[in-house]
Amino acid sequence: MALVDYKLLISEAFSEAQVKVIEKRADGVIYAEADPEFIRKAAKLFVHDNGCILLTLFACDERKEAGKFGIYYAFGDRKRGEVIVIKTAVETEFLSISRDVPAASLYEREIKDMFGVVPQGHPDGRRFVFHGNWPGGSFPLRKDFDRKHKPEFMKRPLYFQKVQGSGTYEIPVGPVHAGIIEPGHFRFSVAGEPIINLEAQLYFVHKGIEKLSEGMTFEKVFYISERISGDETFSNSLAYCQAVEKIAGVKVPKRAAFTRMVFAELERLICHFGDLSGICTDVAYGFAWSHFNLLRIWSYQLADELCGVRFLRSVNAVGGVRKDFLRGKNSIMNEYLDKIEAELKDIMHICRRNNLLRDRTEHTGILENKAAVDLNAVGPGGRASGVRCDARKAFAYEEYDSVAWDEIVLKDGDVASRMEVKARECFESIKIMRQAGVVLLNDELGRTGQASGLNDGCKEESNNAVRIEITQLPPDTWALGITESSRGENVHFVMTDSEGNISRYKVRTPSYCNWPALCIAVNGNIVPDFPLINKSFNLSYAGNDL
Amino acid sequence: MGYIIIQLVLMVGLAPLINGIIKKVKAFSQKRKGAPILQMYYDIGKLLKKEMVVSETSSWIYKAAPYVVFGSTAAAALLVPAVTNAGGLNAAFSGGDVLVLLYTLALGRFFLMLAGLDTGSTFGGMGSSREGMISSLMEPSILIGLFTLGLASGSLSIKMIMSESLSKVCPIADPVYIIIFFVLVIVLLAETCRIPVDDPATHLELTMVHEAMILEYSGRQLALMELAAAVKQLILMTLIVNIFFPITAVLPAGVPGVAIMIILYIVRIVLLAVVIGVVEVCIVKLRFFSIPNLAALSFILAIIGFVNYFVIGR
Repeated sequence: MALVDYKLLISEAFSEAQVKVIEKRADGVIYAEADPEFIRKAAKLFVHDNGCILLTLFACDERKEAGKFGIYYAFGDRKRGEVIVIKTAVETEFLSISRDVPAASLYEREIKDMFGVVPQGHPDGRRFVFHGNWPGGSFPLRKDFDRKHKPEFMKRPLYFQKVQGSGTYEIPVGPVHAGIIEPGHFRFSVAGEPIINLEAQLYFVHKGIEKLSEGMTFEKVFYISERISGDETFSNSLAYCQAVEKIAGVKVPKRAAFTRMVFAELERLICHFGDLSGICTDVAYGFAWSHFNLLRIWSYQLADELCGVRFLRSVNAVGGVRKDFLRGKNSIMNEYLDKIEAELKDIMHICRRNNLLRDRTEHTGILENKAAVDLNAVGPGGRASGVRCDARKAFAYEEYDSVAWDEIVLKDGDVASRMEVKARECFESIKIMRQAGVVLLNDELGRTGQASGLNDGCKEESNNAVRIEITQLPPDTWALGITESSRGENVHFVMTDSEGNISRYKVRTPSYCNWPALCIAVNGNIVPDFPLINKSFNLSYAGNDL
Repeated sequence: MGYIIIQLVLMVGLAPLINGIIKKVKAFSQKRKGAPILQMYYDIGKLLKKEMVVSETSSWIYKAAPYVVFGSTAAAALLVPAVTNAGGLNAAFSGGDVLVLLYTLALGRFFLMLAGLDTGSTFGGMGSSREGMISSLMEPSILIGLFTLGLASGSLSIKMIMSESLSKVCPIADPVYIIIFFVLVIVLLAETCRIPVDDPATHLELTMVHEAMILEYSGRQLALMELAAAVKQLILMTLIVNIFFPITAVLPAGVPGVAIMIILYIVRIVLLAVVIGVVEVCIVKLRFFSIPNLAALSFILAIIGFVNYFVIGR
């Protein structure tokens, strides 16, 4: 496919007054500013004509500096690894692009709740982040909203889509569930057992992460980024670190990049094993449940061996990794990986041949490719429906393009496919970890070849080799960090204020994209299959509610 | 009279043990130590001491149901003699007819379903509707299965069916009996809400059947409901071991014989529990709408057994 020069594309399609390309930034992101009137046309140009996806959409309160709210649209071209950020400046309302780009719907409702800027022509005028208890006229992400302000408790009815007809009824489930899981309210509209419509009401664990980060130093926000979602600690902090490193104009040492890859893949292993065992629990397949759990525990033990923290907290650091964790750890890592790989092969062999398990998972919870593309379903959920959405390939970061591995894409989109994608990705992760391990080992031994040039064969244990100190960020600038967590593409946007502190931290986790996809995938299935479908996506509540 | 007391104590006292054994077997397959075998006794003891939380919207049905369910199950337990040899069968209640047994159990189930509906909670209603579906699907096969055994023994009384088994050298080798054996095993799994029909260990409200109906219960009432479910499971298991695997050896009547019989009975029940545990480990819970297939399988087996009786004769 011919390379599209997006700068050229924009200048051909629009006049300077409509959409103006400001710069191609050092990190390759094309930045343009648009007249609010033309944003729909621009969105159509990118998404419909050029196959881009909407990476994220958010607002910034820039009334102090510019007198207006800035709305940022980040489009990504996965085939070419290009990112285009378009900014429009609006006062109280902006043009909705949701009718053209369905994936934008939730972002626009979120902007309405958090900033009080109203999307014009949005098909769904209901609240999204806030429930009935939040008073109107209070917009927490505006700069003049005090973080400590406690608004009055309101009691307003909730609105769910009504399904009518004889024999249909609603099943309200949650937010408190029978098991110890995160809170979320699900409203099923059913006719007997088959589900006609499902709506998920989330944001019960809204922690105000974005508001909290405002005005903090970048070192402190790093710790917040690690705590967005417990099991995505590393990939979230990695996305944040990437954004900050881009702002500072720093490239991390190669040794740090390979170390980061090892931990990112280890986190993926841990999560995928957890998901696979969860799927097996939901079909009451105790044998596979316990064995996947065993693999998960082995992966946790490996994490413990490598860095001393099973949940990979504080392994990452802005500018690299905190310590040269993997020095001398190659053999123990390989020992664990061999053990995990052999066991995983066995279990998957048994699972694939279990007809009863296949009967449960095949044709259950099908997410059609069209829906996956429209809603920008990411991660294994998207890849099982035939979307090539792996950020490690699309927006290659760290050293993912220098190791050999395959992106797993299947086309059926059912629970079985998602299970298969996750299982096969585990093998790929092991492959990546092994290769990274070899590079790191060669570097330690000072061998030439692939490893030449990593930190000049630095042998003594020095943290300089894996981390570049950043003391101050340049003021008034921004950058995007994109990583692939176990659930999918993670997009973090970091903007600095005039003092180099964080003025806006916008996080878009994969769960945010996939919750609507889950609600679509469930339709037409029966109620007892919902937990299984839910588990096959295994979305994070904390990561969505922020 | 002595036999009846032994029977009741045995059935109610032994029932929780079965769940402990099945759970232990599953734990072994999962490389876990698992809960103690006596865990369910502790649970019931704990529940009996706890206070009850009763929904404000519930009616008298909710409060009466645990007693009806437990009472009817305990009554049904009296109809299935655990000790068949050593004079046990003679002492058994001779009016213990197959139909009486099934519909005494059905009375309990009826109230269980009503109780699920009574609180007006979503899950209770879902559980009741599913229980209704599963039990109506399973009813024909258990009826025809037991009728076939009734044909073979010339009477529908459980006492006669069991004594007919005693008179055979090896009843499970009989072509009619072996087919009905499989029917009853499927019915056992379905009626007692085990995998592949329901998962007794699940925490997912949306997939529950039996657990969904008793979701609102707490304290003493929950203890009765749990115990009733365990006793019902033991009743069906007793039917299976005493009809298909009877102890035919001639034992002296009186205390020593009865004691030996009780020990042998417990041994057979424990073995069957282990088998159930192994079956549960190997299979996966069925998709809810595949349960009719399982019911159809057991029904067809029952019909084949029934026809077999006429083709092969006694």
